[in-house]
Amino acid sequence: MEPAELKNLIIGSLDEKADTGAISKKIEEAGASFDFSDSFSEKVAARIFNAPDAVIREIEFVKSMRFVFNRVALTGVAAIILLLISLFLAEGSFSLNSFLGIGNTYDEGIVYLLTGN
Amino acid sequence: MIESYRQAEDSELISASIAGDKLAFGEIMERYRRMVARTVKGMLGDSVYAEDIGQEVFIKLYNSLSDFRGEAKLSTYIQKIAINLTLNEIKRRKRFFSMFSQKGNSEMHEFEIADIETEDKRDAKELVNKALMSLEPKFRIVVAMRMLQGYSTKETAEILELPMGTVLSRLSRAQEQLKEILKNL
Repeated sequence: MEPAELKNLIIGSLDEKADTGAISKKIEEAGASFDFSDSFSEKVAARIFNAPDAVIREIEFVKSMRFVFNRVALTGVAAIILLLISLFLAEGSFSLNSFLGIGNTYDEGIVYLLTGN
Repeated sequence: MIESYRQAEDSELISASIAGDKLAFGEIMERYRRMVARTVKGMLGDSVYAEDIGQEVFIKLYNSLSDFRGEAKLSTYIQKIAINLTLNEIKRRKRFFSMFSQKGNSEMHEFEIADIETEDKRDAKELVNKALMSLEPKFRIVVAMRMLQGYSTKETAEILELPMGTVLSRLSRAQEQLKEILKNL
């Protein structure tokens, strides 16, 4: 089909009274036909019917992660409590300095190193 | 066996698919894949992205088969799913490109038409693709419904859930735009 003829068909298909069924058929015959690849249906079927296996695997993974998290979380909380107790016994308070391991005494040496005075 | 599926009514295939019959759903796909391809590829261009959206259409159809009450034709129901997913994809692309591009209105147009048998047919497809992609999505969809699917104005209005007047005005404006666009192609 000549390009000019195809252009007229495209424009003509939008006329209110156009025989759209016949025009779309001609446009398709001219080469503007659309379809998916040959393996389209197989891909869709695989995604639909294999999906339950994937979902089950995902659920199992989430369950395992939750189990691991519970174990790690409990151990972590126990470690934090032990750390706080040992800190309190060593420093006698929960001040920021005791967390950072800095003594409460004013160290002139640091000021001298930083400012030179 | 397969012949019996080919002769079955849509309603029978739907019931069988809901019951887990893979072949019945396969027959539904065979019946409507070209219709979906015309809508999706007409709107998104003939690209691999359109193929993905086409797959999503049938997956969504499968998951919603039990909701299908048979009040409308199955083709209309599938067409609506295809249009919704395609328009969502266009919006998603616009958002994506607006993040990385100054224009913000870019769409990805990739044509894979090298496998068409003759040069004439390749040219025809390229012309149709370019013409469609030059239109705004709201005009493109009515043109695709008319030009590629062959729907009447009434059917187009029903599927797009738009008043007839809106469809007619969009068709008229799209026609004016296409006249200008096609002059340069």
